[in-house]
Order: sequence, then C-alpha cells, then structure tokens
Amino acid sequence: MLNNDTQLEALWLQRLQQNDEQALAAIMRKYYTSLYNYGSRFTSDEGLVKDCIQEVFISLWQRRENAATILSPRYYLLRAVKNKVLKSLHQHKIRSGTVPLEDEYDFLQEFSVEKLIIDKQMSEEQATTLRKTMAQLPKRQHELVYLKFYQHLDHAQIAGLMNLSRQSVYNLLHETIQKLRSLWQAELIPDPPAR
Amino acid sequence: MKDFRLYDIADFVIDEDFIRWVHEQREEDNQFWNAWLQQHPEKHLVIASARRIVESIQFQPAAINELDVEREVGRLLKTISTQQNEPPPATAKLFVFKWWHAAAVLLLCLTGASYFYFRNTGARPYAYKSMVESKQLIEHTNTSQNPLVLTLPDGSRITLASKSRVSYAHTFGSGDTAKNGATRDVYLLGEAFFEVTKNPHRPFRVFANEIVTKVLGTSFTVRSFEKDTTIQVTVRTGKVSVYAQAVTKVAARMNEIILTPNQQLVYERMGHTFQKVLLSNPAVIGPAVSERSLAYDEAPLERIFTDLSKVYGINIVFDSEVMKKCTVTADLTNEPFYRKLDLICGAIDAHYEVIDGQVVIESSGCR
Repeated sequence: MLNNDTQLEALWLQRLQQNDEQALAAIMRKYYTSLYNYGSRFTSDEGLVKDCIQEVFISLWQRRENAATILSPRYYLLRAVKNKVLKSLHQHKIRSGTVPLEDEYDFLQEFSVEKLIIDKQMSEEQATTLRKTMAQLPKRQHELVYLKFYQHLDHAQIAGLMNLSRQSVYNLLHETIQKLRSLWQAELIPDPPAR
Repeated sequence: MKDFRLYDIADFVIDEDFIRWVHEQREEDNQFWNAWLQQHPEKHLVIASARRIVESIQFQPAAINELDVEREVGRLLKTISTQQNEPPPATAKLFVFKWWHAAAVLLLCLTGASYFYFRNTGARPYAYKSMVESKQLIEHTNTSQNPLVLTLPDGSRITLASKSRVSYAHTFGSGDTAKNGATRDVYLLGEAFFEVTKNPHRPFRVFANEIVTKVLGTSFTVRSFEKDTTIQVTVRTGKVSVYAQAVTKVAARMNEIILTPNQQLVYERMGHTFQKVLLSNPAVIGPAVSERSLAYDEAPLERIFTDLSKVYGINIVFDSEVMKKCTVTADLTNEPFYRKLDLICGAIDAHYEVIDGQVVIESSGCR
C-alpha cells in the first residue's frame, strides 16, 4: 500500500504538471486534515490557518511546471504551511507592535488520552499522569513527537522542518522516549492499599 | 537490513517499521513481527513495552470534517479557475480513489479481526472458557471503563480492570474445607489486582490461562488477556508462587517460581518460556519502612544493603568479605531505587547487574 500511495502521488504530481486541476484537488483532499492539524499547532485562529493552506496550494498551482521535482508532497506541504503560518503570525505581531524573534513560536498540542482509556484498559489515573508528563515536555519535543508519530515524517524530514541536525533529532527523540518509558514502568495498576 | 536484535525499547519506539506495525496492524507486518518474536522469545517484554509506549502517544484529531475539506477544495478550484478563466470541472472521478481507500481499510480490519478470532478460538486446554464451563461458578465481568472492586466471601479484595472477568465457586471461602476443597480458587481473564486475606490452611489460587499463581496472603497483580502474548504476575507485598498448568516440557521445567515484592514474572505463551524481572521503579514496601530515614554517615556498606533489601523486599547479592572496608556517606531517603544503587556504586566504584530478579553487586573492594 505504501508503494501504491507513492505511485499515486507521483501520478498526481505528473498530472498537475500537465495542468490538471483535479490532481491539485486530490492532493489537497489527501493532505488537508494533516495540514490543518499542523497549522493549528501554531495558532488558534482557524481562519488564518485555512487561508494559509489556500495560499500554499495556490502557489503550488502557480509553480506546477516543477511539481514533478517534489519528492515527498507531505513534507513539502507541511513545510510550506508552517512557514506561511509563522510568517503571517509574525506580520500580525509587527502590526500590533509586539515583535518577537522569528525563531520563537508556540506549539500547542493536546495529547489525547480518552481513546487510551477505552481501548487500552488504561485507568483514569494513569491517563492523567501520562497527560501531565506529555504536557511537561518542552515545545520543541512536542513538535518532534508530533511530526514523528502523527505526521510520520522520517528523521531527515523532521530535521529539515525544525532546523535541527539529524543527530539532534535522534537525541531529542531518545530523551523523550526515555521519559515516557520510565512513566510506563512506574505504572503498575493500583497503589498499595492504605493501612 | 536492520538488526532488531540489537534494539532496546527506545530504538523500537522510534523505528518507522515498528511504528507502522503498531499503528496500522497490517497483515504483512503482523506476520513479520510474530515470526521474529518466535525466533527471539526473550524480546517479548521489550516489544510489549515499546508497543505500549507507541500506543500511548495519541493526538487530538483535527477539528475539521470532510465537509469543511470539500468547501476548501471548492474554494481553491474557484480561485485558480478565476485566475485562468476556466470552468470548474466535475469531481466524480475522484470519488473512485476514495472508495478504493475505504474498501482497502475495511478489508484490513476484517483480516485483522479474523486473525485474532481464529487464533484465539483454537483448542487451548487452559483457556479461561474451557476452565470455567464445566464448573458452577459465580462470574463478575467488568464492562465499565473504571476498575471494579469486588469483595470475596473470605474478605479478600479483587480490583478488576476494565474488560476483565473473574469467576469463583459459590462455596468459595465457606468454612468446611472437607466439603468445599482446601483451596480458594479464582479464574481470571484479563487483569486484576488481588489483596488476599491471610489463611495458611487454604491457599488462594488464581488460574489465568496457562498460569497458576498461588499465595497465602499478599497483594499482587495478574495480567492475562486472551489476546496478549504474555501473562504477567507482579508482586506488591508478600510472596507468591507461580506455576504453569500446561504439561509441555518447558512448562514442566518451570516448576514453581517464587516471586517476592517488586518482582515480576513474564510468561511468554507461544514459546512457554518465562522470565523473572525486577520492576524498573520498585516501590517501597509497607509505610512503616518508608518513614525510616536512609541517611548515612560513614556507614558500612553491608548495613546500607541490608536496609535497602528490607525497604524494597529485593535481594541484593554482594561479597561482604571483599567489601567489608567500604563505607558510604549519603542521604538516600528520597531517591528512587535504581538512583540509590547508582549513587552507592558510584561512591565505591562498583557495578551492579540485575540477574533473575535480584541485584548483584560487583566490586573489587575498598581500601
């Protein structure tokens, strides 16, 4: 299925290059949810995220003669959406007078634990601890875990998207996993009975 | 080709192939990993832990539905067509792709489900169902999402995890041992924490698929869901003995395994192998000892290890002759167990290893 997916995408890009609007629509349908989800990590302004995604696809259409050179549409689009959203947030802030460093941005992430409680026989208590541990992760680690486990990017792509070296991506991931690991191993159904 | 034998838990958790297996449960991945585990049965615990971590990383889905997406696609097509003065084209062709995707997903789910179904209904002589059906038992099933606390007629308590069930005879715990048997027997499918009232004359036994856990009075956890590949028994307080019901050669070798606090037995069901491990964050046993201070000033090592053994109920093996000159000054009261070991070993230039559920200290002594 992975091969089919890649082949299908290559076909879309090829048809895009040949001015096929439906190929552009197909790519948007496939990635819209992922892109919207990622864009919403940087701001809670839904309208802004939607507008940015529109602009990204319009500029993809305008540059369609080079479309076949895109190796991973997912990576290309995520990167474009991130840049677009951060740029327009930056411009908003310049207009409102507060100018932050361009490198600094929020990464909002709500980890979902409801599904775990239902599917994995996890207790509410464990879920709360898990949510707390996740919430304590620095923002960069949030984004890393998100790109890895939600967007399924490879380490080179994550490095490119976050301006990190591949080694730091690997190190940061390892560090994060160790935190989760100790959490899971400390977990052991109920606490000893109070005596 | 990757050599998964060298992978530790974290390596698996960030491996793309491993994540794909956990997330998507594709049939070809199931086949690969099951075959791999059969060749490397000692890796069951590592794989199980890595799976749990991957499964625990879940994100809030995007607050957007298909209708919103279609609206945005329409908006895009309109923008680019006004840029070019082209009429918006029909969309029928694209639904073909979408249906194809849906069909593929459905097929995967069905094969996955039937795989588990057929695997589990095979003749398993010690499956919960076959143990329970010939007996007249009282059964409790926890269909809620919260743990269910049950009190047995003998005063023992069972905290039953979600989607788990237990049964026991209606004569359970009544005084006449001649008539009602000399043991207190409980049958478990799923996961439960047991707090057993003391009765040296009537051992308390938990039958969990192929594994029996026998105790006199203690608290412990048994995890044995039908579709799990392992059965885990974890001891909180007291001592329990665990043995296999199956009469296979490997299982017979297992005889009776004694578990003490903070030890866990992992029984691998496919290969009938077992492993005794220490919990990675051992809990202090009993509130009385936890209040005791573990601050030392030039204290002999032997005393520190004896204290630790008592506080955690974990056996610490060391050569008292070689290490008799070693002393340590440290406040270990609030450190986790392994941090304590690290501090001590760091101070006297020693190493430790966890072997068969106990800690073994290696040192060339102090001057």
